[in-house]
Amino acid sequence: MPSITAHASMASRNLLAAPRTASFSTSCLRFALPPKGKASQAGPPARGQKSLHLKKSARPRDTGKRPALGERKMLRKRIVLSNTNALEVHGMKDLNGKNLRAEAVKGAVVGLPEPVVDSLRAVEAFKTTQGWNMFRRPATLMRKESLQIAAFVDDVEAAVGKKTVRKIIVGDRASGKSTLLLQGLAMAFLRNWVVINIPEAKDLVIGHTEYAPLPGSNPTQYTQDAYTSNLLSQIARSNSAVLSKYCITTDHKLSILLPPSTTLAKLAELGANTPELSWPIFTALWTELTQPDRPPIMLAIDGVGHIMNNSAYLSADAQLVHAHDLALVRHFVDHLSGRTTLPNGGIVLAATSGSNQPASPALEFSIQLAEARAKNPIDLPNWNPYKTVDQRSLQSLKDVDVLKLNGLSKEEARAIMEYYAASGMLRRTVDERLVSETWTLAGNGNIGELEKGSVRLRM
Amino acid sequence: MPPRLNLLSVPRTIAYRPKTDALAWQANCIAQPSLTLRRNFAESKEPPAADKSKNPDTQPLGGVTEEAAKTSDIIGTEGPDIEQGTSVEEVVKRDKEAQKMLPKVMQDSLKSTPKGFRSFSTTASRSQGMGLEESGPPPPPPIMPGIKFSLPTLPIPSDAHLKYRYDPVVKQVTNLLMRHGKLSVAQRNMSLILTHLRTSPPPSINPSRPLLPGAPPPSHLPLNPILYLSLAIDSVAPLLRLRSQKGAAGGGVALQIPVPLGLRQRRRTAVEWILAAATKRRNRGSGKGGFAQRVAEELISVVEGKSSVWERRNAIHKLGVAARANLILKR
Repeated sequence: MPSITAHASMASRNLLAAPRTASFSTSCLRFALPPKGKASQAGPPARGQKSLHLKKSARPRDTGKRPALGERKMLRKRIVLSNTNALEVHGMKDLNGKNLRAEAVKGAVVGLPEPVVDSLRAVEAFKTTQGWNMFRRPATLMRKESLQIAAFVDDVEAAVGKKTVRKIIVGDRASGKSTLLLQGLAMAFLRNWVVINIPEAKDLVIGHTEYAPLPGSNPTQYTQDAYTSNLLSQIARSNSAVLSKYCITTDHKLSILLPPSTTLAKLAELGANTPELSWPIFTALWTELTQPDRPPIMLAIDGVGHIMNNSAYLSADAQLVHAHDLALVRHFVDHLSGRTTLPNGGIVLAATSGSNQPASPALEFSIQLAEARAKNPIDLPNWNPYKTVDQRSLQSLKDVDVLKLNGLSKEEARAIMEYYAASGMLRRTVDERLVSETWTLAGNGNIGELEKGSVRLRM
Repeated sequence: MPPRLNLLSVPRTIAYRPKTDALAWQANCIAQPSLTLRRNFAESKEPPAADKSKNPDTQPLGGVTEEAAKTSDIIGTEGPDIEQGTSVEEVVKRDKEAQKMLPKVMQDSLKSTPKGFRSFSTTASRSQGMGLEESGPPPPPPIMPGIKFSLPTLPIPSDAHLKYRYDPVVKQVTNLLMRHGKLSVAQRNMSLILTHLRTSPPPSINPSRPLLPGAPPPSHLPLNPILYLSLAIDSVAPLLRLRSQKGAAGGGVALQIPVPLGLRQRRRTAVEWILAAATKRRNRGSGKGGFAQRVAEELISVVEGKSSVWERRNAIHKLGVAARANLILKR
């Protein structure tokens, strides 16, 4: 007993002698260690006393091996281009460099040859959302718009003054814009052009890849070294046959020494392996490709709406960087807008996206304008001056033409449905009635809906 | 002609032993001295207890001919013609005691060797028809003026209705896949499941886990994913469930009573088992299609006989057989 009282008195004295803090600061009290509770001094409960024991329930824990780093993403992004269960389609022609516009392939489903498939895979032209995994081997329908692109390819090669064709591919959701882009790339590969493809514009602007200011640029531009080196490796892998035919001709003043017999493929590989030099090497490669007597170039981008606005990157004074200030994007936009032409000719294709398109009033208005211009160059719509618009994007898209993708015709729908049936994926008799019914239900022949309606769920 | 009585096969497919009280059982024993005589022969128009219950399992068995016909139907041989009656000689051929009760003439004819036999039947068959059936396809519908497209051919197929456009199995599985009323998500998952089934290699069948009889060879399955799905579900679907009935045994003890399930109920049970097994599987990838992929993998493992769902089915059937003794059928 006496000890307790002594203790209590001590406690009270301690309380009085508690550190007196200045009235204007509470930090000492706040950062002080929490006072020790009495329970810690009490010791274990006496014998016979009941105490509350709360058992931690042992939740069943998944003890299996976790997937390795990146394995989940790899599964999600995996591109499957073959289904061994599907039947081989007999009598299907292959696309080659000579029959791009032949009568035999007009409105028919044609197979893509093996090397082209490898190249397309290297430039990531195939998407996971497309139905390549259902059929024996990749094959596409040569629709009206595909033949237009084939005509552009022929025009570019036939033109004396080395023509540059610039187009924005627009159309409804699931109308085949990305597939049309893929067909364009395939045709370029077949004609031994140099193909540079940005598979998803979104990756460039959402701030997921590192960036750095480009020294000596005014206004400041930004390079994306990791992305550029990856792009160079794609270029090297997909165009190796063409690029290894040409050697460098000029001194590019790179910080590494290049032997004079370096092929362009080697140069691209070098850029792929040294990310810190990737942008200078990319410009060097571009300079080489634009020398006389070099092949035409196919430049393509998917999801162009993403680069028609501010990017997610910040400048040194914490302002949003415009997408056109990113060096790679500016390089592409300069060619799309026609500010720079391709001296050896070529095609610049940009596809919009129906499912992943950010609001870009400038792009929307430019598309409207281009469509109106194609109809009647006198009567053009005016921009609503009370709406804000990204002037740089509007300027860059001033005179770009659009390639509008409509639905398939009934003959094209029949061709692709016969291909589905011959592959064993559509278990119906393809007759006039079925084609007409499916075509109508697919929103007047929207090819994505047509596939969904005939192959995906209804069998 | 195959023998009418198939002695090698099990005489009854499902033998329910009705539990009756002792007195009635004794009375039955006295009234019906032998099993052979208790059977109903083909001549009797209707089995005596046919009107007692509507449950097919409680119906008394048919005569020997019907039974032989059913057995041969199951094992796939040609059975006796049910239209014909069973001759008494054949019925009593192996029953020595019944032979003693036969009239004198028939006993004599049994002892004497037959002089000859007909290989054809002399009884008239009702299935021959009276010449009233029409033959040939129905006449084409008359061309009616003012109709843009031709009239639909009748009968209209069952999936032509907007609300019944999908296969019944697909529809049922889609509805069972649905969570929080999100039908379109369930439909997307169903589509992914069918795509997985048609892109995965053909299953290897385990002979100890037989699928439904008449199943197509495994190489045909991936190209017909709906059949694949139906086959997996119908093969593991249990035939019955166990209902525990309180107080049936007296003293407040619950009795397990086997109850046969209907087609949709059987499928529902099987799908729920499969979904439960798929939920326990590990998700290997990431993103939206993970569950659909696991369900599809589970379906494939069901067809290959690897799935744990088979154990559940066998356990239920085993319990059902044991609980058969608890059934009380009113006579």
